[in-house]
Amino acid sequence: MPAETYIMGLFRDDGKAARAIQDLGAAGFSFRRAHSPIPSHKIMEVLKLKKGRVGWFTLTGGILGFLSGFALAIFCSVQWDLIVSGKPIVALIPFVIVGFEFTILFSVFGNVIGLLVCSRLPDYRGLELYDPRCSGEHFGVLASCESTRQGELMGFFQKQGGEARVFE
Amino acid sequence: MKSTIPPDLPSGPARPQRSIFAIGAALSAIGIVAFLVGVASEHPAQAWQAYLINFLLWSAIAQGAVLFSAVTHITKARWSGPLDGLSGAFAGFFPLSFGLFLLLFLGKVHVFPWMHEDLHGKEIWLNIPFLFGRDAVGLLILYGVGFAFLAYALKLKLDPAQTAIGLRRLVRPAPPLDSGEANRIRSRMSLWAGLYIFAFAFVLSLIGFDLVMSMDPHWVSTLFGAYHFVKAFYIGLGGLIILAAIVYQHQGKSTGLAPNHFHDIGKLFLAFCLMWADFFYVQLVVIWYGNLPEETHYVILRTMLPPWRPLAWTVFFMCFIIPFLVLINKSVKSKPRFMMGLCGMVIVGMWLEHLLLIGPALNHGAAEVPLGITDGLIFVGFLGLMVLAVAYTLRLFPELISGSGKELHAGS
Repeated sequence: MPAETYIMGLFRDDGKAARAIQDLGAAGFSFRRAHSPIPSHKIMEVLKLKKGRVGWFTLTGGILGFLSGFALAIFCSVQWDLIVSGKPIVALIPFVIVGFEFTILFSVFGNVIGLLVCSRLPDYRGLELYDPRCSGEHFGVLASCESTRQGELMGFFQKQGGEARVFE
Repeated sequence: MKSTIPPDLPSGPARPQRSIFAIGAALSAIGIVAFLVGVASEHPAQAWQAYLINFLLWSAIAQGAVLFSAVTHITKARWSGPLDGLSGAFAGFFPLSFGLFLLLFLGKVHVFPWMHEDLHGKEIWLNIPFLFGRDAVGLLILYGVGFAFLAYALKLKLDPAQTAIGLRRLVRPAPPLDSGEANRIRSRMSLWAGLYIFAFAFVLSLIGFDLVMSMDPHWVSTLFGAYHFVKAFYIGLGGLIILAAIVYQHQGKSTGLAPNHFHDIGKLFLAFCLMWADFFYVQLVVIWYGNLPEETHYVILRTMLPPWRPLAWTVFFMCFIIPFLVLINKSVKSKPRFMMGLCGMVIVGMWLEHLLLIGPALNHGAAEVPLGITDGLIFVGFLGLMVLAVAYTLRLFPELISGSGKELHAGS
């Protein structure tokens, strides 16, 4: 059985990258992975990805933060019992600021934790099949084929308007 | 209404049907009759109060919707797509808004409670000639700049070779429209867009101070103007989403609109929902901390005492709590019909919010919220005027709907 070759198509336009992903299967090549420096609706549409669960982590973090912010402000005020300018010790109107800030902070924590959990990061596998330009201004489409069809796959990417990089 | 529909316009897939004009005219007639009956009754103040509230609400929707186009142009936003053109259709309400403002002069006795009060030196600012003079000039500048911006935007959409009459002839570019000329038009658009944004903030602050905050002339909040123009952008986005949803429902993808556009503008709508609540809160927290009687009475009357307290909570739920919680969800933002309902609720909520701000000053010692059938009918009348204005503009310039008129020269 001939060995498998990995080739990445590098595109400056996410529309062209999306079209290449769409046409790969029909051309008889195996799509492996897509790399994008920004979230792209076009690429996400052709990949038909399921909705991630990161949002639930963010929401949970936000709710916990909201409650924690109020709880912290109330706890601190009750510890001292100082009446300032005749205001109630537990005064909800100014505590909204603490609650809001904690909502944002814990939402971010939840979001980062959710991202790490859902993406199973850190993951050091497959780094040899990555092009740093995909963190810049290129969209990468990684595909594989039998080594005998390497020229065909390179031609496919070039025909789609991209540049082909072969991973040895 | 037949005579108002311009004839011999280029055919396109998305021009409003004549039935829309009939509906708009019917709604306007209902509102006009209700207003005239109200003014002729024993209590004309009630009708004038409804008139002022609706003038502020519907003018803000039109001004805020046009701001969307100016902002997306100056920030070089690409996501907005066909929404840019649709937002320009709201400029059709500008002449009506200006006329309605001038008409307010007839009801000045009923809508400016400070007219016969001792203003302790504020007479220099709060007097009828100066107030109407500066606000009329402000609105003229705002609407003039808005029209200039849209005229340049239309130059890129109209075909220079096509025969045109009236307003179309006025805004049509001189042939040939090469890329150099297109770039010159775009730079002019940027200039007018910037001026519109500046005028929007300045004039709407002025209107907020003069026509809303001055109802209680001894109460001052320096942030009230900003609160007023943030609110205008919030409901302007709401009006634009409703228009886009209606166009999308009737014309489908031929308009260039897609669920992604609704999702993206839904996010902006959520952002300004938060922004509106923030501008309310930053005023509240300063007044709460200061605890000065001349400042707190305004808030206490409107949020803690009957009959306004339930109305304040209703406004808070309709304009913040419900849209905030609902719009966290991603998929609902992509559903035009759902967004139409939600934005409609926010606009009605803002209508009640105007009543909450203005009502207590015009109805001292009211036992119940002064909201009757006449108020509802006048609201319907203004809705009809907005329908007529937007439909007329879209019929005159069908190119505002992207499916029937993309920019003739793409590129930078």
